Amino acid sequence: MSVAVPARGRGLARLTDGFAGLRRQGAITPLAAFAVMLAVYTAINPDLFTRIQLQTLANLIAPLALVALAELLIVLVGGIDISVGAVMSLAGVIFATQMEDHGAGVAAAEALAAAVACGLLNGALVAYGRLPTIATTLASAFIFGALANEVLDRPGGNVPVEVTNATSGELVPYVPAALVWVLGAGVVLWLILNRTVVGRQIYGAGSSASALRASGHDPRRAQLAAFAIGGALTALAAILLVGSTATGDPKAGDPYLLNAIAAVALGGAAFTGGSGSVSGTIAGAAVLGTIGSLLFFAGIESYWQYVIGSLIIVGVVGLPALTRIVRGRRGAVR
Amino acid sequence: MLAARALSKRYGPIVAVEEVDLTCLGGEVHALVGENGAGKSTVAKILAGAVRADAGEVTVGGVALPGGDVRAAHRAGVYCAFQELALVPDWTVAENLALVDRPLRGRFSRARAIAGAVDTLARLELDHLDPRAVVGDLPLADRQQLEIARALTGDVRVLLLDEASSALTPPGVRWLFARIRELTARGAAVVYVSHRLGELAEIADRGTVLRDGRVVDHFTRGSWTEDELITAMAGQPAERAHPRPAPARTETVLEVEGLTAPGLDDIALRLRAGEVLGVGGLQGHGQAELLRALYGALPAHARRWEVAGRRVRRMTPVQAVRAGLGFVPEDRKRQGLALTHSVGENLLTPWLRAAGPGGTPLLRRERAWVDRVLAALAVKTTGPRQPVGALSGGNQQKVVFGRWLDRDRRAVLLHDPTRGIDVRAKHELYEAIVRLAGEGVGVIWFSTEVEELVHTCHRVVVLYRGAIADELAGERLTADAVVGAAVGRTAVAS
Repeated sequence: MSVAVPARGRGLARLTDGFAGLRRQGAITPLAAFAVMLAVYTAINPDLFTRIQLQTLANLIAPLALVALAELLIVLVGGIDISVGAVMSLAGVIFATQMEDHGAGVAAAEALAAAVACGLLNGALVAYGRLPTIATTLASAFIFGALANEVLDRPGGNVPVEVTNATSGELVPYVPAALVWVLGAGVVLWLILNRTVVGRQIYGAGSSASALRASGHDPRRAQLAAFAIGGALTALAAILLVGSTATGDPKAGDPYLLNAIAAVALGGAAFTGGSGSVSGTIAGAAVLGTIGSLLFFAGIESYWQYVIGSLIIVGVVGLPALTRIVRGRRGAVR
Repeated sequence: MLAARALSKRYGPIVAVEEVDLTCLGGEVHALVGENGAGKSTVAKILAGAVRADAGEVTVGGVALPGGDVRAAHRAGVYCAFQELALVPDWTVAENLALVDRPLRGRFSRARAIAGAVDTLARLELDHLDPRAVVGDLPLADRQQLEIARALTGDVRVLLLDEASSALTPPGVRWLFARIRELTARGAAVVYVSHRLGELAEIADRGTVLRDGRVVDHFTRGSWTEDELITAMAGQPAERAHPRPAPARTETVLEVEGLTAPGLDDIALRLRAGEVLGVGGLQGHGQAELLRALYGALPAHARRWEVAGRRVRRMTPVQAVRAGLGFVPEDRKRQGLALTHSVGENLLTPWLRAAGPGGTPLLRRERAWVDRVLAALAVKTTGPRQPVGALSGGNQQKVVFGRWLDRDRRAVLLHDPTRGIDVRAKHELYEAIVRLAGEGVGVIWFSTEVEELVHTCHRVVVLYRGAIADELAGERLTADAVVGAAVGRTAVAS
């Protein structure tokens, strides 16, 4: 079982391996794009690294990053989930309304249970009912949205200060709590996807379900697991959003749907399934979340912000294609 | 060791397999032969647990197998290398080897998977496979060896090989036979499905012939000739000899000098009208790249490049079709056909005009040509409107090839068009290729079957490491010379 590689060589091999993996899953461009944006951001707005601005930025990015990770799971198994926004709204209002009577812990658990149940419902219909993901989740989105309105028909709820602090305050000075939640969730999800059998099955189910079946696995369970884990991540996103806005809103999740899908695309995942990465997706969400405030600080008029923001997104998505073309040319002339 | 009794399976109204009995003793290689659509793959899938039979039972060492359960089959020691490669394309080699039958719960260690894969690959003499490589990036032959290797990772009592040699080159086949002999020496049973009759003579102890889903004949080692077997498979006497093309003409239809592309180094070729030029060599030595470069599917450049007398600076597939070239790609299902579209539409794909009619009006207008092509190639189909995915492999390949018939082509490029198709379809394709050449079309034909190159080509160039290692014609064009040049040994003209 032993591969004769010296310890340092092995570390290096791991590093290059990891890099190759990230490149294969399309994560390099979004990561680089986010690094560049952060650099530009601090250049035009040196105040970014004040405590309050860091917090604001983290609170802007965190819910989006978590929903995007939930969406990533469904994309990995070869589908697309239209219901994440509605599930987020539902989990949010449950969290906001249950807190008063039962305390934050129980409320969070209830929100989590509700979102996982939503995921399991979608997953069961898709995996065992063999229904198309996009239609199934579109239909279930209306149901979950209606339920959210039933729980709380207008923005409200009572969010104690401790909850706000725990979700969107600071853990220690200069470390926003929201950032810690996202990184924690990211690490756990990465471990699940890359270091457990079910995680590899999730990739395999989207890559080739028939091949997975032929090697003695059941792709349906992998699909179900993806939807369930996705539900849990969506609930966490909802809790962070409720904490930072201090209200529950039955429509709060809606704007997150398209942004989550965009973040997954920006993160380099393949919408045919089987390929995509946690780090790329988080970076994609961070790019999307930062663009708005970056352009605001750059002093660009609000209408133009949309145009330039869109151009940046197209640029990030288009960059790999561009490098491919350039590389192809060079290869031919070699 | 393995006994199947009265297996039957229908897909809708179509009977795939009916009342098939099969026994395979320990230490025996049992061949399963038949034309495409005869039910061989269905039988293999039932035995492997990938498909549940409608009736009948399978026993292994006297114990009945539950149907339709791959894992249960694995537990009983039945492993299968499938024809349609069943590897997960986005997984690495190591993951595909390690993640067999793993329960849903459980940790996955990359390092351990890689170490295990290194061991397995070394044990199976497959050191050229990189455990870290992503399977989807590997050439077909490597994927096929990996598929076989994966079937060998378990505690094998019965090994099912469904067309497992279809993409393998002669050394690959020798590798496979060595593995089979290891297994049979240990007392395991091997069921071997293949179209390559030459291989059966070497490896098969007994055999069963299927036709239209039923068992029609049995044979044992030494008691059969290829002609008898073909007759049994086809149900009618079939000629098998490789047809010879008519002499080539003098005019040049395609010429390159100094063709260079990724994986290709300074290739010079001249193809005359009506000439059948074979391309040989081991998989991965640039044959695929050569055809793709000539067709413009791979960026390439050349010092001199002429198609039908016109200079070419840079080629794209669109220009290639316009200049009079045709191409039959490597993977008919992925690169050749739109499987859900109809036979007629697939035939007409290269001839669609951006602003022209489509669908029914187009089919009606081109009906005469479509019918002519389908008849010329004897394509078994219910008509131009049948989805091409419903055809058998051989008939699908005929559709990919048929596109270029009777369309004023100057040269066609064929990438192993007879891979994995049955003997009769193969023969019909040979005839069609020779007929096409007889009409004055130049043919460049890459084949993994040396016999095809030797018997049906005027001239054969053998590639080695992306360059032309040797050019063989006339007396020097022998199977030994082709194989020798393929491994880098240039035979001295005698």
